[in-house]
Order: sequence, then C-alpha cells, then structure tokens
Amino acid sequence: MTGSRSRRYGLRLVAILYLAAILLGPLALVFFRTFEHGFGAAWDALSTAETVNAFKLTLIITAIAVPLNTIFGIACAIAIVRRRFPGKGIVNAFVDLPLALSPVVVGLALFLLYGRDGWFGGWLLDHGVQVLFSLPAMVIATIFVSLPFVAREVVPTLREIGDEQEQAARTLGANGWQTFWRITLPAIRWAVIYGVILTTARCLGEYGAVAVVSGRLQGETETATLRVEERYESFDLAGAYAISIVLALIAVLVLVGMTAIRPKEEAA
Amino acid sequence: MSIVAKGVSKRFGDFAALDNVSLEVPTGSLTALLGPSGSGKSTLLRVIAGLETPDAGEIVISGEDATGLAPQKRGVGFVFQHYAAFKHMTVRDNIAFGLVIRKRPKAEIRQRVDQLLELVQLQQFGHRYPAQLSGGQRQRMALARALAVEPEVLLLDEPFGALDARVRAELREWLRRLHEEVHVTTVFVTHDQEEAMEVADQIAVMNDGVIEQVGGPRELYEEPASEFVMSFVGPTTRVGESWLRPHDLEILLAPSEDAAEAMIERIVHLGFEVRVELVRADGEKVWAQLTRDGCEELELAEGQIVYVRAAAERVFA
Amino acid sequence: MSTVDIVSRPAKIHSERASTALSLGLVTTYLSLIVALPIAALVFESTNGGARAFWDVVTSPEAVAALKLTLWTSIAVALLNAVLGTITAWVLVRDDFRGKSLVNAIIDLPFALPTIVAGLTLLALYGPQSPLEVAGHSVNVAFTSTSIVLAMLFVTLPFVVRTVQPVLLELDEEMEQAAKSLGASGWQTFRRIVFPNVLPGILSGVALAFAKAVGEFGSLVIITGNLPYKTQVSSVFIFSRIESGDRAGAAAVAVVLLAISFGLLLTIGAIRHYATRHDR
Repeated sequence: MTGSRSRRYGLRLVAILYLAAILLGPLALVFFRTFEHGFGAAWDALSTAETVNAFKLTLIITAIAVPLNTIFGIACAIAIVRRRFPGKGIVNAFVDLPLALSPVVVGLALFLLYGRDGWFGGWLLDHGVQVLFSLPAMVIATIFVSLPFVAREVVPTLREIGDEQEQAARTLGANGWQTFWRITLPAIRWAVIYGVILTTARCLGEYGAVAVVSGRLQGETETATLRVEERYESFDLAGAYAISIVLALIAVLVLVGMTAIRPKEEAA
Repeated sequence: MSIVAKGVSKRFGDFAALDNVSLEVPTGSLTALLGPSGSGKSTLLRVIAGLETPDAGEIVISGEDATGLAPQKRGVGFVFQHYAAFKHMTVRDNIAFGLVIRKRPKAEIRQRVDQLLELVQLQQFGHRYPAQLSGGQRQRMALARALAVEPEVLLLDEPFGALDARVRAELREWLRRLHEEVHVTTVFVTHDQEEAMEVADQIAVMNDGVIEQVGGPRELYEEPASEFVMSFVGPTTRVGESWLRPHDLEILLAPSEDAAEAMIERIVHLGFEVRVELVRADGEKVWAQLTRDGCEELELAEGQIVYVRAAAERVFA
Repeated sequence: MSTVDIVSRPAKIHSERASTALSLGLVTTYLSLIVALPIAALVFESTNGGARAFWDVVTSPEAVAALKLTLWTSIAVALLNAVLGTITAWVLVRDDFRGKSLVNAIIDLPFALPTIVAGLTLLALYGPQSPLEVAGHSVNVAFTSTSIVLAMLFVTLPFVVRTVQPVLLELDEEMEQAAKSLGASGWQTFRRIVFPNVLPGILSGVALAFAKAVGEFGSLVIITGNLPYKTQVSSVFIFSRIESGDRAGAAAVAVVLLAISFGLLLTIGAIRHYATRHDR
C-alpha cells in the first residue's frame, strides 16, 4: 500500500483500539473474573441441576431448529433462484425480515398467536396442546429468528454456479431428486455448512424472543441465555459469568468454524 | 535525455525482477520495453512512474533526480493495461480529472477536454460511462486522460494487451500517428515483438530482469547481441552452433562444397510465404523460409533431397 | 430427438411441475406458519382497539420517550459504525500485520455471542465494578445512555466492516494509482475515487446496523437498568408492556418497530440496486 507510514499506523491504531475497547476488553475481563476464584467455584456454578437443565434445553431447541431451517433454507434458495413464481419479492422480504426485526417483537407476535386469547391459542389449549410457556413456543421463536441464514448463504452460491451442470445431468437421464442429490447439493455444500454454523450460533445465543414466550420457569423453560440473566438477577455474578464463559467458548468455536469455512465458501 | 535509469534493482521476496538495469530514453522518442512475462519490463516502467520503489539505483526525469519522488510529482502520464477507468465518472470527467485536481478554471478544462476528445476521436462519447465503451475506446480515453495534464513523459503498460487482434493493429498505427502529432517522450511495454518493431524508434529487449540490447528495430533484427534477442525479435533456425534467419537458409538442388545434404520433410504454404521443414543428414532439423515464387522456381516436393547453405549466420560466444 | 423422447417428455414435465409445486408449497407453508402468520397477528391485534387506541398508546409520553431514545442512540451508533467500520475494513483489506487474520476473525464475534452475554461483559468492564479509571474517577456508565450506545456498538460492530470489505477487495487498485499518476494526493484519491465506489457498501452496512440497533434487546437489559424516560428503549418498553398484560399497547409500539424494519429492508434493496447501476 503506497501511502504515508504515519497514516497507515494511525488507521491501524484506530481500528485496533476500537476493537479492543468494544469487543476484546470486556470479554477478557470476564474470563479473568470468572477464574479469579479458581476453577472450582466456576465449576460449582455450572453443575447445579437448573444450569445443567438450562443447557440441555438450549441444545434440544437448537437440535430441532437447525435441521428444519436447513431443509427450508435449501428448498427456499432453490425456489428463489431456479424457479419462477409470483410473489418472489414477498418471499424474499419475509426471509430477510427476521434479520431486521427486534426479537421482542417476534416474541410478542407469537404471544398474540398462541396465547390464551390468541388466534390459535384457545383452540390448541382446549385440545391439550400447550404452546406458550412451553417448549413449542420456544422452538418456534428460535426458528423464526434463525430462519434466514442458510437461505441467504445458498442463494448467491446457487446463482453463481448456474444451472448448466443441472441441465447436463437432466440430459443424461437424471430425475429431479437425483439431480438435486448428486449435482446441486454437492455444489452448495460449503454454503450450506457455513449457513448451518451461523444458524446454530443464532439458536444457541437467542435471548429476547425466547424471554417473551417462555415464562422462564426454572428447570423447565429456562434456556442457558435466560439462566445467565436469572443468575445475575439473583446476585450470583460468579454463576452468571461462568455460564457466559461457556457460551463465549462456544462462540469462539463458531468463529473458528466460520473462519475455516469462509474461504471454501467463497471459492465455490 | 528525458529519462535516465541508472543501476536500478528491485526484488519481490526471492524474485529479482530487475537486476542493475540502466537505460537512456531520448527526449521525444518512442521507446519500447520488449520481453516475455517475468522479464521485468512492467516493473521498470512502474519504477520510472514512481508506482514502485527500487531497492537500488536512481531515476532521473528531465534532468532532475526523481528517485524519491511520489508519482504525483514526477510529471509522468501512465496508461494501464486494463485502462483503470474511473467507472463512476463519465468519459469527460475521466479526462478532466487531472485538471480538476489542479484546480484549473472550468472554461479551460472544458476546452481542453473537447480538444482531447477530438484528438482521440471520441467526440460523441463524452457523456457516456466507461462501461458503455468498447475496449479500444476505453484505452483511447485512458490515453486522453493521461495527456490532459501535459506530462513530460508518457508511459504505457501493455496498452493493447487486453484487446483483440484487429483493434490492436488499428491502435498501434494510431499510437504512432499520435506520437508524431504530439511528440511526447513515450515508453511502452509489450511482449509482442511485431508491435515493438512496428511502433517504436528504439527498443530495449529485456529478459530475466536485465536489458539484453537496446537499439532500433533494424539493428536488433540484423545485429542481435545474443541468442535471446535474436530468437525473440524474429524467427530463427539453428544449424549446429550457428543461428540463422530462415530466409537466410539457401536451398540448392545440386550439391556444393559448403552445403549440407537434407531431406524435405514438409512444405507449408502460408499464402505469400512458404515454409520448408528439412532434416539434415546428421538428424538435425532446420527450416527455411521462401517466397511463393522462389519455391515454385525450385519445384520442391516433400521427400526430395536438397542441399542447404547458410547465406548469413551468427555465432554467440 | 427420437419419438421415444417426445413421448416420454410430457411425463417428465408433469413430474417436474409436480415436484416444483410441492416444494414451493412446503416452502410457503413453512414461511407462513413461522413468519407471516405471527406478523399478521401482530398487525391485526395492534389495530384491534381502533385507530384511536393505537394512536393513544404510540403517543403516550413513555412510549415517545422510549422511541426518541431508541432513534437517537441508533443513529449515533450507525454513524459511528460508518466511520469506524470503514476504517476497520480499510485496515483489514489494505494493511498487513502479524495477527491480521486473527483480528479479521474476531470481527464476527458479535454474531456468535449471545446478546445477554455481551451485555454482561460490557457491564464488567464499564459498569460499577469496572477496573478502569479515567482522571481519578472509576469508570461507570451503567444506567446511562452511554451504556446504550456501548451495547449497540458491540452488537452492530460486524455490519459495516463486512459490507465494506468485499467492495474494497473488488475495487480496482489501479484506479487509485491512475488518480495518483494524474496528480491526486492521498486524500483527494480517497474522496474522489475510493469513497464514491465504497459508499453503497457503507450505506447498506449502516442500514443493517441501524435495524439491529433499533431492535436490540438482550445486551441492553442488564447494563441500562431500563429506567423509563432515562434509559428505556422501545424494545424494553414493549417487553414491560407485555409483562404487565397490556398486550394491545405492546403491539402498537411493536408495529412501529416493524414498520421501521420493513422500511430499512426496502432501503437496503434500493441501495443494492443503485450500487450496481454502473455495471448494467
């Protein structure tokens, strides 16, 4: 880069200070504070029954939401890129909406749909199906907020690779499913994997929407993120930090995954 | 002298792009830097422009030491292989850019841009965007843009490399005519020896970071200083340690004491030119270039035994 | 093409159409169930009590205060991101130093980290138990609007950086060299050549950051204290309305946020369309 030395160092300094002040400083401090009292205290905080259940619940919700959104994402991307149908703009808008919408608004919308006085709530409760304040609502909320990622990663990749290979497969006698399984899917696999990583991270970290619809019953409808807040409100800072560290470590793993996969995804 | 390069060296990591290169470019001349890729010709051009800093050596432009100067201060105009058009500006704004930066009055700028549009024959395209022009038109715009600020030296980096053959031929002729009209000292980089021979007054042949020879087109063709120059600047054929031009290989029908026996393997008719591929008695393959009439006169046929003799040859130590 | 192909074609087209219809049907059903229906319920319920009731809630002092606070902090954050994010993207693309790839990876941290954890970590460094001191006073921005800006900066950090990076990477560096060879200084080159081409990237990043900031909830809950009129943003206001059973009130303000989100999505689309105009 041809430019004055001092300008280059100046810009570099600004960028690094910015990142340190906003991202790294706070995170480093929490790491430090958590283990200030040793591993033992942190471990105790993590191994209470409620905390373990909270992690379990987070994992269950994630395990349901991620596969569903992955299948949807791939199907939706194929529909948008390869098929013609009316209302494509609306579909696009709805797929992008969760990215721009406040999680509290999402929770509220579900509340209005599945609450006792809601559109479906009454009918469902009469038939013994509990949605709100229970697992189903939490799953739906998490699916809503993590919906776009696989679709948005796959769409540009599908566009770029073009449909020539798929056409070639058809002329050689492959039917729709075979073409998809043997040609399309392998071509988009890195985009799908990258999208899955983003979706999983979003599911594990969701807070706002789930906070609204869950009722936060400890041990039953409390996810890991909700538990962090609960521990803080109960003045158990060490416990809150400990759970946060686990979530932060998972986030770091996600970052590693993203960094490793991104070049493959861009090369495709 | 417009440009003097003295002992310029430049490395990129382990790769020595330029190794102690010296060159003098006379004022008002059209000089070509000719060589294969990796020869250092583009690097030398960019060092002259100030877009690269040499590890050693100096550059003197119009008598002043320019080695430490930024490109803005050297008074050179640079034309890139891929045009580097300002794609968000119209053709007029592209050409006017250097003048706008120098804060010239608007009327003066408008006049100069009109002049230049006429010079490069893009009068109707002033308000178009580069994306709407063909490659050849974009390159003419890039030239007009570089000339707008009246540089002392014009540098072109493989200016016609990205264009197809017919446009290339047209632009070559056009550049020669432009140079005759405008008389700016011009240096251009090319890997195409035909282009260099056709356009330039002076050619510097480069290879592996050094200049092998500097001279006019005829001098380089007839008196090459090395094997590399000889084979780069024109067709060659070898006979033992000697190098010849194929049109200097005589074919005789009857034996002669300085001629060697050879069999015609193949005759290729290339319009006016005929190429005769032969294999000598000792197994060495050579080829000769004849005119159509010359070939007809001799009535050559494939499989025929003839006798070949060098009319002029060179040996390099 | 043989007669066999011609005869078997209708069957293939049929099954192709059928599978398209099926997959489209599934996609739209999923979308409707998950996204469209809840949004419809929200819009409907917000206007259920009539336009008057809607207007009363939205213009109530607490709601207005929350919205004002949300908007000015989000705008401030969007602008800060425009500048700092662009600088960061520039450094990541044009500069080179040891550890650059690590820094590049860290940018995505706010995408991966739960918002509630973000709030907690910011509280640790800038709240009542902060180890930092400025001019002899311990730093503590908890329960102030500064904490709102801080939290929003955290969660929006990647947006402008990641939208500007690809544009900078694709930018033909020779355009800048051409400008320099024509006499432009570094600043002039940036202003006249780099900036106009990078601007659409900055704008879409800013729009995304603004959308995220306006709706941000999890990172604000702990560090701001949610004091009405002081540090309560619209998302928290909605939450408190839900907790106190005032669902219509919550829905009304929620619809305002929804409209802002939709508006931003349209803006981003328009920016993208504008950005590619020179390539058409």
